[in-house]
Amino acid sequence: MAKDSLDINVGPGAKSHANRDVQSIKQKKRKSQLTWYIFLIPSFLGILLFMAYPIFESLRLSFYQSNGTIENFTGLDNFKTVLTSGPFWNSVWNTFFIGIFQIIITIPLGFIFASLINSTPKGQNFFKVIYFLPNVTSIVAAAMIFAFVLHPEMGIVNYLLDAAGLPTPSWLSEPSTAKWGVILLAVWHWIGFVIIICLANLQAISPEMYEAAKIDGASGLQQWLFITIPNMAGTFAFLLITGWIGAMQRFNEVYVLGGPNGSPARSIQTMGAFIYERGFTGFEFGIASAATYIMFVIILIFTFLNLKISNMKL
Amino acid sequence: MKTTMSHKKMERISTWFKFIILLVFGALLIAPFVWMISVGFDKTANVTMPFPPKLIPEQISGFNYGIVFENGRLIQSYMNSAIVTVSSVLISVSASLMAGYAFSKGTFKGKKFLFILVLCTLMIPMEPRLIPLYKLFNSVDLLNTFWPLILPPIINGMLIFLCKQFFDQLPDTLREAAQIDGAGEFKIFFKVYFPLSGPIAATMVILAFIWSWNDFMWPLVVLNDQELHTVPLYLASFSLENGTSLGGLTMALATVSILPIVVVYLFLQRYIIQSIALSGVKGE
Repeated sequence: MAKDSLDINVGPGAKSHANRDVQSIKQKKRKSQLTWYIFLIPSFLGILLFMAYPIFESLRLSFYQSNGTIENFTGLDNFKTVLTSGPFWNSVWNTFFIGIFQIIITIPLGFIFASLINSTPKGQNFFKVIYFLPNVTSIVAAAMIFAFVLHPEMGIVNYLLDAAGLPTPSWLSEPSTAKWGVILLAVWHWIGFVIIICLANLQAISPEMYEAAKIDGASGLQQWLFITIPNMAGTFAFLLITGWIGAMQRFNEVYVLGGPNGSPARSIQTMGAFIYERGFTGFEFGIASAATYIMFVIILIFTFLNLKISNMKL
Repeated sequence: MKTTMSHKKMERISTWFKFIILLVFGALLIAPFVWMISVGFDKTANVTMPFPPKLIPEQISGFNYGIVFENGRLIQSYMNSAIVTVSSVLISVSASLMAGYAFSKGTFKGKKFLFILVLCTLMIPMEPRLIPLYKLFNSVDLLNTFWPLILPPIINGMLIFLCKQFFDQLPDTLREAAQIDGAGEFKIFFKVYFPLSGPIAATMVILAFIWSWNDFMWPLVVLNDQELHTVPLYLASFSLENGTSLGGLTMALATVSILPIVVVYLFLQRYIIQSIALSGVKGE
């Protein structure tokens, strides 16, 4: 139909008319393309100034000895200094130790509690609100409270452990146990997030699968093992990756609990704290920049590894 | 008949069992807060902490709260946090709405490439940017002002991503209708799509608010002046100065610092939880 009507219209006059139309449409299109770029200006100014520029400037600085005013090119010296520095590797070890245990404790525990909440007919909303409360508390305030909660003699954790007849560690006041204190705080603070994400994804699993399994006579536990857990693989991957990135950047709570050098005896100094210490208490911008680049590469490598691992499971 | 009865009974028992586990674990999670409130009302806790821990202090006193408010630095830091958070939320949410809309409904050269660039920003942590940004704001003499805290959040890959997803769900026919009426792109955005963006805007405000309010490392670097300290900075400096002495005062301070967020959370919990869940589910 449409083709027919076009054919009828074709004549010398109609052709030039159509040409003019095409031209003005093209012009309009170009104009509207420009309009779209205007929508993007604020964000891309932000990307240029606050993302791209700092990333390259940081790379440049890592080849210089710099205190902010005087700069001397030193090649790879900063990287050599950082990579042979004991305190740096100590901070990497601390960051990994706290991060790994935070993740392998919180994700399974959070998932179990999300499943329990999901299968409880009563008080679902109440539990959601309670369990998520630690996560909305600022980590700085939480660390402040935990300095007392984990106090070896006056804290409630050791009081409860003692009452249960268990050994009472000295937590944050001794290098050998300080990391576990931070892990406890990290688990407490993060578990609400894990539970909320798990719950949202649990509720997205189609109920038909469970109905089919029920007809086949699968028990609740069997359904959980063979339907729920495989369906949650994507969620676990998401939590693993975001949790790991967050853990690599840990700074706030260890700074509040142990200052920039992560006392006692640098036992809780993370990579972020190492960078802060060298950059802003020592004003060694070159060394701090080299350290940030090494940290950045570590995060990228492990994010990539995590993606691979979780893909294999999928 | 008998087997179904016992089956039902079993189910009821397991339901109660789950309920009790959830209650006990919930109580454990809440215990630090309860203890915080209790110690905060105990004047003697500044000398020695009450031991064994008590649910209700022996002598209830508002002494610690009096000092916290009299000092004035907490109120000041609240004002600072409010200025910083409101401005940065406004900036980041409006910029992300515009960008998200363009990525969803726009047709222009390089759209895919630019969007991938936005997603890449999600992977860039703060640390490598810390020193150059510090030097940048130092060179334009803006250290010890709120500008370094207000401007950089203008780019937020997560918010742009959420926003694009939201606009993707809105039909294009709205655009076409407005175009026939002769409306330009800006008019279409402000008159048609912007009024519909309420739900996603609320989500974005909640997320941006929490991120900005709790930010610590960057403010610590750029704000040396005590008068300009935000709430987390004030808490950290108080905590580092006093360690685990002055228990009562520390706990009163912690209580007052988290109270507003907790109150807002209790009123808006449904939306806050939804926002967090959305950022996780969509981010997958």
